[in-house]
Order: sequence, then C-alpha cells, then structure tokens
Amino acid sequence: MKRFSILLFLTMSLSFGLAAPQANALTVYTAGPGSLGKKLALGFEKKTGIKVDLFQATTGKVMARLEAEADNPHADVLISASWDTARDLDKRGWLLNYESPNAVHVPAAFKAPSYVAQGLSALCIVWNARSGLPEPHDWRDLAAPAYRNQVTMPDPALSGATLDLLLGLQTRLGKQADALFDNLHRNGMVVLGPNAQALNPVLQGAKAAVFGAVDYVAYGALTSGESIKVIFPSSGTVVAPRPMMILKTSHVQNEARAFIDYVLSPQGQKIVADAWLMPARDDIASDRPLLKDMKLLPQEGTTATVMHADVLKRFSALFGQH
Amino acid sequence: MTSSKSGARMHPAALSALFLALALLVALPIAFVALQAIFPDINLGSFAHPFSSFSRSLNHDTTLPLLFNTLRFGTLVALASVLIGVPLGALRGLFRVPLARVWDLLFLAPFLIPPYLAALGWMLLLQPHGYLEQLVGVNLGHFLFSFQGVVAAMTLNVFPIVYFSVSRALAAVGLRLTDVARIFGAGPWRSVMRITLPLVLPAIAASALLTFTMAIEEFGIPAALGPRAGVALLATSIEQRFSDWPIDLSGAAVLSLLLALLALTAFFLQHWLLAKRNFETHAGKPVATTPRELGAWRWPVLVLFFIIATTATLAPLFAIAVTAFTRTLSGGINGTNLTLNHFRTLWADGEGIGALSTSLSLATGTALITGALGLLSAWVIVKTRSRGRSLLDALTLMPHALPGVVVGVGLILTWNQSFWPLTPYNTWGILLLAYSCLLLPYPVRYASAALRQISDNLEAAARVHGASASQVMRRIIVPLTAPALISSMLIVFAIASRELVNSLLLAPSGVQTVSIYIWQQFEQGSIGDGMAMGIVTVLSSGSLLAISAHWTRRFNHPM
Repeated sequence: MKRFSILLFLTMSLSFGLAAPQANALTVYTAGPGSLGKKLALGFEKKTGIKVDLFQATTGKVMARLEAEADNPHADVLISASWDTARDLDKRGWLLNYESPNAVHVPAAFKAPSYVAQGLSALCIVWNARSGLPEPHDWRDLAAPAYRNQVTMPDPALSGATLDLLLGLQTRLGKQADALFDNLHRNGMVVLGPNAQALNPVLQGAKAAVFGAVDYVAYGALTSGESIKVIFPSSGTVVAPRPMMILKTSHVQNEARAFIDYVLSPQGQKIVADAWLMPARDDIASDRPLLKDMKLLPQEGTTATVMHADVLKRFSALFGQH
Repeated sequence: MTSSKSGARMHPAALSALFLALALLVALPIAFVALQAIFPDINLGSFAHPFSSFSRSLNHDTTLPLLFNTLRFGTLVALASVLIGVPLGALRGLFRVPLARVWDLLFLAPFLIPPYLAALGWMLLLQPHGYLEQLVGVNLGHFLFSFQGVVAAMTLNVFPIVYFSVSRALAAVGLRLTDVARIFGAGPWRSVMRITLPLVLPAIAASALLTFTMAIEEFGIPAALGPRAGVALLATSIEQRFSDWPIDLSGAAVLSLLLALLALTAFFLQHWLLAKRNFETHAGKPVATTPRELGAWRWPVLVLFFIIATTATLAPLFAIAVTAFTRTLSGGINGTNLTLNHFRTLWADGEGIGALSTSLSLATGTALITGALGLLSAWVIVKTRSRGRSLLDALTLMPHALPGVVVGVGLILTWNQSFWPLTPYNTWGILLLAYSCLLLPYPVRYASAALRQISDNLEAAARVHGASASQVMRRIIVPLTAPALISSMLIVFAIASRELVNSLLLAPSGVQTVSIYIWQQFEQGSIGDGMAMGIVTVLSSGSLLAISAHWTRRFNHPM
C-alpha cells in the first residue's frame, strides 16, 4: 500500500498545474506571438481579477479551431493576425458590435463596428547580414540568381500577416504578382510554417533572407543580438492590423468588453509596443519605425473572400503545400 | 481453459463498468472517425450524402501520392532499421561486446528524446552553417532536407527496437545449435544461414514491421523536417486538414481511416509472425548460453558501436544542448555566445514551469489510469471465464495499432458534439483520455504476461482459506504482478509526458504541455527557449525513470 500512497502524493503535489476552470473565466483565442498574449492576460488578471484561459497558436490554427467548434463555441474573444479573417467572420454574423471608449485614439482605418486593431505589424524582408550576399532592397531582388535556394517565406495558410501581404501584392501588382511568385518558386524559395520557423534557418545562416516576414518577430530577434537586418522594400509593403473581436456566442460579454478596453488602454498598448508591434493607438510612443515612416502598397477594402481562397489555392498549388 | 479457472468470475456489474470504460476510451473515438468519414454532415446532425466524401477524398489528386509516399517511407525506415539493428543486435546477443551496458543505455535514449526534439536537433546540426559546418566545415543540409533525410532521422529513432529484439532472441538461442551443425560438418557461413538466422527471423520480421508501423504513424519528424524537404505524409496531412484553416473534417476522417487500416494490417501481420515463432530450442533443462569472446575483432566492433551510438543519440543531444546554452543562433558556437538566459526564461514568467507541471501531472494520471484498467482487464482476460474476454482483449490491444493522430481526430469528433450533457472537450480531461487510450496496451500486455506465470493454485488456496475476492486481488495478484505493472507504467509515463500530436490537437485554452511549449517556440518563438525546455524534460523524465527503475529492482529482490 505504501507505494500507492507515494503515487497518490506525487499526483496531488503535481496536479496544481491542472486547477479547475473558474466560472466567469474569459477564453481568449489569439494568434502569436505567445509571450504577448500571455502578458496581456496576466496584466488583465492583475487589474480585474478575471481569469483568462488562453489558446495561442498560428492564425490558421486558431481559425481552424473556431470553425471546428462552430456548433459548440468556446471562445469569447478572438485576436487574429489577419484583418481579412475579421471581415469574413463579420460577414457571417458571428461578431458582437462594441466600440471601446479607448478606441477613440485608434485611426479609423483600423477599426470597424465589430472589430478593432490590437496592434499593427508590417511585412518586411529579413536579411542575414553575414550571408555575404548583396543586400536586397525590393521584393524582386530575392528572385535574382544571387538568391538561388537562399530564401524562405512563412506559409500564408498559417500566418495571417503573410496572407495579407499576398493579398496586397495581388491587388497592387495583379499579373506581375503571379510572375514574381513564379520567379521566386523557380529560384528555389521554400515555404516554411509560421514566422519563427521561416526565420530560424536565416538566423543560423542556412538561408540568407526571409520574404515577407512580420517585422515584430525580426525586431525581437534583432534585440536579442542576432546579426540580421530588417528591410522594408522600396516598392512598398503591407501593414497587417491584428483585429480583436468579441464573439456573439460569448457567455461573459461584459468581461470580454473589459478585456478589449484593457488591451486598448495605455497600459495594454505599452505591452503591445514592447512586443515590437506598432501600437493601434496613435498616442503611444514606440522605438520602432511607425506607419508614417513606411511606404505602403495600396490596400483595398474590397478584397472579397472568394478571391482570398483563390489566391491561397494558387499559392499552395505553386509551392506544393497540402 | 482449465477447470481451475472456474473459481474466478468477475462481478457482472464490475465487468460492465470495465467494458463501459474501455468502450468510452477506445471504441467511441474510432466509431466517430468512421461516422464522420461516411456521413460528411454528421456534425450538423444529418446523415445526408453517405460515402460522398470517400470518392471526393480518394479521387483527389493528392491522396494517391500521399498514400504511396507513406508506404515508401515506412518500408524504407523498416529496411534501414534492419540494416543497422540486425548486425548490432547479433554482435550484442552472441558475443561479449565491451561496454555492452553503456551501448544498451545509449540505444534506449529514443525513449527519452522525443522524436520531434531529435528532428529539431538534426536540423540545427546538419543544415548549411549548422553546428557541424561550424565545427568541421561540412554540412549535410542537402541530405537532411530530402526524402532520404527524413527516413534517416526516423530510422535513427526506431532502429533500437530491432536491435533489442534481435539481441534478446539471439542471447536466448545462443550458438549452441549452430555448434551442433558445425560438428556435423556444416561450414560457419552455412550453419549461420541455415540454423541461427531462421531461429531469429520471426523476431527480425516482427520488429521490422513494428518500425514500419511507428514510421507511418509518426507526426513529429515529418512535421519538423517535411516542409523543407517537400515531403508530405498521411499523418501530417491529416493534422493539416484538421487544424489549418479552411478545415476539411471529412477529408481528414477518410485519410485517418486509410492510415488506421494500413497500421492495423501491419500490426496483425506482426502478431501472426510472433505467434508462429515458437521453436523448441530448449529441451528441458535451461542451458547457460555464454557469449563468445570477440578476440581481435574487439576494436572494430567497439568502433562500430561507438559510431552508431554517437550518431543516433549523442549528436542530436549535442545540438539541442548547444542551442539551449547559446545566446543567438547567428552568433554560432563560441565562448562569448554562452548564456543561461533561456533557462531563466523558463522560470521567469511561469509559462515553462507551468507546462512542465501540466505534463508531469497528466503523465502521472495516465500511468495510474492505464495501470488500474490494464491490471483489471488483464486479470479478466487471463484468469477468468467471463464472457466477452476476447472482445476485451481486442479492445485493449487495438490502440497499439492506432496512429496517435487518428485517436486525436476521433476524440474531437466524439466530444465536440453539442448533444453530450457533459463533455471532457476543452478541459485537460480530454488529454488524459487521449494518452490513456494510446498507452493502455502497455500495462495490459505486461500484466497479462505476469499473470500467466502465477499458478491458479495460489488463488484457489487463498479462497479455500477464506479470503474474499478482493483480498485475493490485494494480497496475491497485485503484489505478484507489481514489478511488471510498474515498469509498464513507467513506459506510459515516459511517453505521455512528451506526446506531441494529440497535445497539439486537443489541448484546451489555458493548458500547455511540454511538447506544445517546445513546438510553439520552434514555430513562433525562440528556438533557444524551446531547446532549454527540451533539456529540462529529458533530464527530469530521465532521472525519474532511473529512480523508479532502481526502486522496481529493489521491489523484485526484497533482500
């Protein structure tokens, strides 16, 4: 019997990790970066005493889980990395309208009746400064012979921001975008999972550059001392606002509203800025280049979902995904 | 079925409860995979368009290449495992290999290093400008990121199964019969080919089939290396259809059935081979089989074992450790780049330590549940004449043939329906269910083997002297099966504490396991933090296993 009591003790001492869920706990599904979601949740818990259950994954996986649970929804608040997903869910009538009092400081382009930006990222080229290859200045430089088999790109089916870049290039360049991706493919570019997975080979030097990385991941790596350079292409880039939204099916809508308020408060926006994202509010300071410092490709508000699925399909056919 | 068995019969209510538990654990998820595959709209409560997704999925132009790729992958892994495992196993089983214990320990390491972690280690070591290039100036990136590279990474993870199986079989047979053949005039080559090899052929074939099954079921290695090698297999494709937007539930279910069918076929083939295996090699008295001396071959053999152990175990561990202790990847290996920061991060925000405690708790829970269910089922199967024993046998062994990803898909399809009044979905309970389902066969098999060695007379004697059934269980069955049961529970613990694909599919919001933490650091965070967690897991589960193994040994010899 003694060994069973030992086992029992072991179980009990270990099971503090599996505490029972709290009644009014808020369930937040969020796209990476993981530490940002965690910090916002902790800050919110400390301020309001409301517990946050976090599910953090890539935009693709978060959306997949939401869809799989369509009949039996669990999420209260959703934070995605692609503006397009919010538009899509809004059209399906899943979202609750809410205008946070703190949203007055968010520019009109980054809010809608049922969703508002948490922060913004811009898409960039990440270049390993020790690679010995010429520094790229524009997207098409990575299709040049010097970069043969030297380029990675995050998978737009997983990374919401990369998806927005793909759509942005498509609307601006049309047929030229197809040609660009054709050339990149012929030049041996590989498509690798979400952002960090595409960045890692470039950090170690196995590859020389990332096409279309989100800038905050690259700035994070830069701060920890990696020898890379973040380059915003001369022909312009895309900004990907990260929409936050409350789902209509939520049972704790007051808590959900409080969470949105918190993320848009100066305190919450400071945490967002610390993760190297551009804050959604225009009155928060940040050490990184902001919207006004960047040249953008025009972003049309009319990108239809049909086209979105279409673009993804063509892309995955070209790069042999799925 | 001897008459002595008639004494034991399980109480009908208890037996029904056991069946119910196993049905919930094993049968239900599989049933729901089949239902979803047949009725694509079942999650909307409709039985419309039966079988429509079969033709759609099977006619899809990616399905056949996926199936072909998976078969080729499994076959190549099995062949390569035989090529490495059989010679090493033969040397270990027949000869006195220097440092034999050390090699055994090093070849056991795959139990400790989760496959996905090893794959990440290989990547950091071999890719261009990886650690190998930094140290000796060559890289094997081209090889690693190819179909053969993924096969090699998988083989190094599973060949020990062939090694241990062959070395044990040969150690039992020895060279006695071969010597007899030599005496009767057979040449050395002929006697080995005609006597020794046929004796261990079933062991080789069965372990090769097991490596085949493990290869086609593996998720972590193809998920880590596959995208860069352009390799897609059934297991990764099922996960993708299920958890990348837009999702394809029915397609995932059809592919799951396909994969389960493949694995079940291999599994039954393996069982059939093992059942045929009973050669009479002992004619009564046990004969001590002393291993031969290697003589002058000592050194070449030693070098061979050293090379394989270094490649299979030490090389990926080295890459993992280096990454865990270096500040930046682009800084490479040098003294100024050393740091303990990644380990500090694990502790700093409580995230890493939380994941560790969740994994250890779940693994402990899984070991207890499967241990209890396993002992009860094994007892019913071996010692009673209760009806439905063969069904129980099938139910408890089935998960051995079930790919992890299929179990995960089945559990979601089962428990994410709105009609259940109570569901474990979106609680940590679903992870406990998944791990318990997958790992149940270990305690059942170990406990059955132990129970078969207990004479029925012991139970009968106790009953004659007035002991109740529960007293017999507590005072006789449990103590006598405990060593076997505990070692199987340790295996369960080791596997459950690192399981990847079900954790990724099923973990509810707010719950993170070690494997999820490592995987997310690789996908979206800092790979250094992930590798630091890898080191902590390997060390903690390794030392826990060592302590418990020591304790089990003492338990075996109470002196």
